[in-house]
Amino acid sequence: MKKMLLGLIFLLSIGFLFAAGNKEEQKTTPRELNLYHFKVSQVEQWDQLVKEYAKVEPGVKLVVETVGGAADWTTTLKTKFASGNGPDIFVVDGPALANTFSEYLSDLSDQPWVSHAVESAKRPMTFEGKLMGMPFNLEGYGFIYNKKIFRDAGITKTPGTVQELRDAAEKIEAMGITPFGNGYSEWWVIGMHLMNIPFATLQDPASFSTALDNGTASIADNAIFNSFKETFDLTIKYGNKNPLTTDHNAQMTLFNTGQVAMVQQGNWKEVGIYEANPDAEVGLLPIPVNNDPAVSGRIPVGVPFYWVVNKESDMKDDAKKFLNWMVSSEVGQRYITEEFGYIPAFDNIKSDSLGGLSQDILTYASKGKTVPWSFTTWHDGMYNEFSEHAQRYVADKISYSEMLKRMQESWVKLAE
Amino acid sequence: MIQVRRRTIVGVMELGMVLIAMLFLAPFYFVVVNSLKPFGEILKNAASLPRIIAWSNYTNAFSKIKFLSVFSNSIFITSLSILFLVIIGSMASWWMVRKNTKFNGLMFFAFVAAMVTPFQSIMIPLMRVVTDFHLLNSRIGLILVYLGYSTPFTVFLYHGFIKSVPIQMEEAALIDGCNIFQIFLYIVIPMIRSMTITVIILQTLLIWNDFLLPLLILSKRSLHTIPLAVFSFFGQYTNRWDYALATLVLGMFPIVIFFLFMQKYVIAGVRSGSVKG
Amino acid sequence: MSESGNRIKQAGLATVFLGPAVFFFILIIVFPFISGIYYSFTEWNGVNATPIWVGINNFQQILFHDTQFFTSLWFTFRFTVTTLVITNVLAFGFAMVLIQPLRTKVLLRTIFFLPNVIGGVLLGFIWRFILVNGFSTIGEITKLSFFALPWLGSPETGFWGLVIVYTWRSVGYLMIIYIAHLLNIDTELMEAAHMDGAGGVYMFTRIIVPLSMPAITVCLFLALSWTFKSFDIVLSLTSGGPFRSTETVALNIYLEAFRYGNYGVGSAKSILYFLVVGVITLFQVRQTKKMEVEA
Repeated sequence: MKKMLLGLIFLLSIGFLFAAGNKEEQKTTPRELNLYHFKVSQVEQWDQLVKEYAKVEPGVKLVVETVGGAADWTTTLKTKFASGNGPDIFVVDGPALANTFSEYLSDLSDQPWVSHAVESAKRPMTFEGKLMGMPFNLEGYGFIYNKKIFRDAGITKTPGTVQELRDAAEKIEAMGITPFGNGYSEWWVIGMHLMNIPFATLQDPASFSTALDNGTASIADNAIFNSFKETFDLTIKYGNKNPLTTDHNAQMTLFNTGQVAMVQQGNWKEVGIYEANPDAEVGLLPIPVNNDPAVSGRIPVGVPFYWVVNKESDMKDDAKKFLNWMVSSEVGQRYITEEFGYIPAFDNIKSDSLGGLSQDILTYASKGKTVPWSFTTWHDGMYNEFSEHAQRYVADKISYSEMLKRMQESWVKLAE
Repeated sequence: MIQVRRRTIVGVMELGMVLIAMLFLAPFYFVVVNSLKPFGEILKNAASLPRIIAWSNYTNAFSKIKFLSVFSNSIFITSLSILFLVIIGSMASWWMVRKNTKFNGLMFFAFVAAMVTPFQSIMIPLMRVVTDFHLLNSRIGLILVYLGYSTPFTVFLYHGFIKSVPIQMEEAALIDGCNIFQIFLYIVIPMIRSMTITVIILQTLLIWNDFLLPLLILSKRSLHTIPLAVFSFFGQYTNRWDYALATLVLGMFPIVIFFLFMQKYVIAGVRSGSVKG
Repeated sequence: MSESGNRIKQAGLATVFLGPAVFFFILIIVFPFISGIYYSFTEWNGVNATPIWVGINNFQQILFHDTQFFTSLWFTFRFTVTTLVITNVLAFGFAMVLIQPLRTKVLLRTIFFLPNVIGGVLLGFIWRFILVNGFSTIGEITKLSFFALPWLGSPETGFWGLVIVYTWRSVGYLMIIYIAHLLNIDTELMEAAHMDGAGGVYMFTRIIVPLSMPAITVCLFLALSWTFKSFDIVLSLTSGGPFRSTETVALNIYLEAFRYGNYGVGSAKSILYFLVVGVITLFQVRQTKKMEVEA
């Protein structure tokens, strides 16, 4: 018994020592600027960046918190705000989430970097003429394709329309290789990225959304949504077995081992592809919606996240200063292009160290052959609903027109 | 004859259990084998044995997550939480079993009900409490939250056990002039030792592996625990399986050793416990 | 000592023994839960400073318009019953064998317990990989149709996938509790019954099981409490898919509150679920208690 008591006292004293130590640590540090983001792969680069910034602004200590996808970074962020611990700078993945946080966003329209930011990157985060978020980089997705398999199959022209894609798929299948590796168990592959394609290809996706809200437009009657059936069916017909069991990891395994020629993914997978095969030859194909080359053949390019400044924070000005430093200083720009390997969303930042996928994205962007990431404007929960309906279609439980009808119903329900 | 037959039956059972055990181990094959492969190879074929053994996964993971720091945080939080949980849990349970009042009955039901309430339904209000009491970014704060969060389960385990402990010895001690604290310390604690060991094992697992509470409460990286370190390798669209699995294996070792160590006490505790009186 | 003096003393002692546990419990669980009741009557996205009072709107919406909630409820119920039976039967069986004088018993106990050293979310990721990649590879080699099923890709395989993972996870845990109790059973009683010529079946059903009733109560309830609130493994294993067919209530509440941004509705669902589960739990604990007494 005595031993136990002694042990207890020992542990307790350790406990208080540690606790006391913590408090002291907090007192001696300079003003803390709390920053929250979800790019877990960049933790080390951010550690370096913190040191770089300490040289420039010794009075401010950058405290970076990174919460990854596995942990559902939006939930953690919401919980922080709900309990009154919002960070000074954080990221939102688009206007829908920005709306949720609307009470906390600062107006960044007067910032020096605004004139250099790419116009299309600013548009989604502009509310009533005010720019509420700072873009960092551009990302794009489509069918990542294995150039070697395409060459071996004798495909000379990169497919842009559904018919061209079908021809390519037939040639690839004739070689005994599965054309498509579908990761349809992943809600963001099927519900978000795939379903964005018909949506974003519309003349004016924003007014279509509004019309859907008002009940004056219909997904089920829309021509693009209906013709998209052909593309969707094509991926299923010429796709891997059991697409509904395949997640993004399994999808990339199929691609990296050469079992499939194409996967619907984006340039965020570039690092993994080159890790698996350092001499991989890959490119990005657009996901077509019909056989009209004027309409199809566009790459959805968007901003994966925007930096926003917490209006309630005492460190607002320091936060804005830091963001400006990131995109205007030589060090900050170097981090964006080289350390993070990003396609910058600024015309005054030059980048020449990009991989095959990023280069294709830039090529399409320079020709103006892009469509937006409309899903960032969808109502909360829409991807989950869309992926539910689309998965049912893949499983052959409902017809395509029923799928469109249900998507329409989900939209109406969530718009309320 | 019976002896021989019995031995054959036991032998067959043993063989069967070994086979089932191998089935149980299959997922660990995946964990260990892939923790030793270069990232590219995991992406190509995750089922095969590694062609080249990449010890660098371990050394990299070790330095990337500052293993010693996360490890000592995990040890600190788990051990102190368990210590206090055992103390307050055993005291409360014993009191509730021995003093059968309405209030105690109601409390017990509340504890049981709390065990089936999903954590998500109290998450946001709980974080308000944590903030208001200045428990954020403090390991002590997290420990205090565990005292509340894990008390129901602790009480539940002790409560059932103490009911089966005969009261005679306590009554005898009372007649001998012991006060209630002496009875608890010298009679009750030794008698419930085997349950204490069980509580320690089960709660240690829960707290050691817990992810959500540390994530919400300990946002500073210097305070991170092992599960947070493992998850620092998982992004929304990409996962670094190589480092994550190496970290997982590093974090698994102490708990396996701990379990092997406690196992001895499970049996010893039961045998020496004078439960049957 | 006077009556009131004794009462004060009792209250003081109660504070010492029961106080700390009750204090932390109320602070960390009861109080947040009650705040949750308030939110269930509001419209709130979980972030804004002020929730808007909407009365019983949320409850009406769930009860009359939210079919997915009831689908989840039914799924959770089926999943709970299936897992409850399988895990407890296996755990009890394993415990019975592993209290025999086997040479490998410590090793085997450790192995069965090992799944618990991996946390829930990660476990889901690892199993997802095994069910999706591992099983299909085995299926190609062995030509067994069991492995060639579209694991996690259909409602049925999603259901059984979850059952397999939960069983793998919980059997060792429950086994430890059963072992502790079985070792505590009076061996003299068993010897005596054996001497009287009692057969294996008789011994098992009339002596071992009744004497293990307290452990069975604990283990049934534990398994119940895990599966009723199962969330993290479900999230990482199936995310409720395909097409929300494996969505548990805890996941449904989570999605409502955090993905759909309706914290108020999410809270209302928690309250409703709490009532359902509370009644079932109360019934279950009462029922097994009764059997304990009879034994």
